[in-house]
Amino acid sequence: MAQPDASFFAALDEKLSSAPNLLIGAPIVLDFERVPELADRDLLREVIGAIRAKGLLLFGVQNVTAQQRELAEAFGLIPLQIGRDAPLDKQRASAPQQSADAPSPEIKDPPRAPANRIINRPVRSGQMIVAENGDLTIVGSVASGAEVVAAGNIHIYGTLRGRAMAGARGDTSARIFCHRLEAELLAIAGLFQTSEKIGAEFRSHSVQIHLEDEKLCIERFE
Amino acid sequence: MTKTEDKALKDKAPLGKVIVITSGKGGVGKTTSAAAISAALAKRGHKTVVIDFDVGLRNLDMIMGCERRVVFDFINVIQGEARLKQALIKDKRLDTLSILPTSQTRDKDALTQDGVEKVLNELKEEFDYIVCDSPAGIERGAQLAMYFADEAVVVTNPEVSSVRDSDRVLGLLSSKTKRAETGGDEVKAQVLLTRHDQRRIDAGEMMTIEDVLEILAVPLLGVIPESPAVLRASNVGTPVVLDEPSAASRAYEDAVARLLGEEVEMRIGNEKRPGLFGRIFGRSA
Repeated sequence: MAQPDASFFAALDEKLSSAPNLLIGAPIVLDFERVPELADRDLLREVIGAIRAKGLLLFGVQNVTAQQRELAEAFGLIPLQIGRDAPLDKQRASAPQQSADAPSPEIKDPPRAPANRIINRPVRSGQMIVAENGDLTIVGSVASGAEVVAAGNIHIYGTLRGRAMAGARGDTSARIFCHRLEAELLAIAGLFQTSEKIGAEFRSHSVQIHLEDEKLCIERFE
Repeated sequence: MTKTEDKALKDKAPLGKVIVITSGKGGVGKTTSAAAISAALAKRGHKTVVIDFDVGLRNLDMIMGCERRVVFDFINVIQGEARLKQALIKDKRLDTLSILPTSQTRDKDALTQDGVEKVLNELKEEFDYIVCDSPAGIERGAQLAMYFADEAVVVTNPEVSSVRDSDRVLGLLSSKTKRAETGGDEVKAQVLLTRHDQRRIDAGEMMTIEDVLEILAVPLLGVIPESPAVLRASNVGTPVVLDEPSAASRAYEDAVARLLGEEVEMRIGNEKRPGLFGRIFGRSA
């Protein structure tokens, strides 16, 4: 994809017309997995502009090289590390992110004060709550079909029935805490587990979830 | 003396409260409930109008038994083709009840936010309660039906997909309404459980009331039993509360009493089960 060719936008339009209400206003992530060579600033600007002009809320990128990551951050997009299944084998784990020689952009960025969020109401189906730069605390339940995302930890004082993604910017020390686990999906730093993989012994219990050797570990409190 | 008091009551500005009857999922009993709730409000002497927002699939006038009297409709009024007074149909059974039917030939794009607001403001001048019967789904029609609401009745069946859709709608009520957008008081939402069938719950085929409330985390307005009386009333074009007394009509009347702020014990079907529900009823989100 050297040029943003017409076929890309035609395909995008088709996708949009097939489910307009689903996608308009939905948070969108650009996946660079199949275009590792794409690092042209003007081209990227054009693509981002075109996607946003269609009413999509483009907020992040994934599978980026170090150079793409810098470009994306310059455009205000958040590099996400999602889409890997946990536990994952050593080979893949050491592949793209670590292969970059360039110093990690976090070092250059001035450290941000964590912006924690507290939500004092239940999170309903279809809602997405994001704490971009900190912890997220929900006082209430997270319904199935709802999504809570945080760069840091996620605390849920209620039942987690939906999806929770902690460490969304790649923080492997992030944790998820919930009063009662009925989750559809759990993810920390992009390593995820779906409900069918979550052991029955943890269901309906008060738990914490953390990463250990790139594996999601669930611990019961009682 | 009573005459002057009466007159004073009549001169009092109408309450003008907008209540949306919504659910997300179709076929759970929104229109039946809108008809029953508005008739029960009117029966108690409150000036009430019920509006059909389901443009293109109009049903409310059939349930209310006035489909043969429709000349102008809600869409005609919004588009300036008729005056509101011309479109309002006065109920023949209750002089406090009016119906604003919708169009069968247009679609939901005919509804505009400004148009809806104008009609609602005009109705507020005259009515105590304006009951909006929302279409199914969460698209334009449903969003406009809830946008100007002061209160919401979320109609839910004790069944997983209905509960999830209701949860979605509760989310929209707390974000996509005028009250939410202008930062005013939240839309007060309560759940009305319909088609409740204790035998099917006991058989494990349906969710219990406790499970539904645990997920939705809003107060319970009432529990309407599955009842042939509801179907019969719909077929003859009579709101169930104006038909012969039945468990369903009593349940709707109780729900309306609670809607008006009265404390009424929760009756499930014909039985009274206070201990179990006293606990749940009245807890807030």
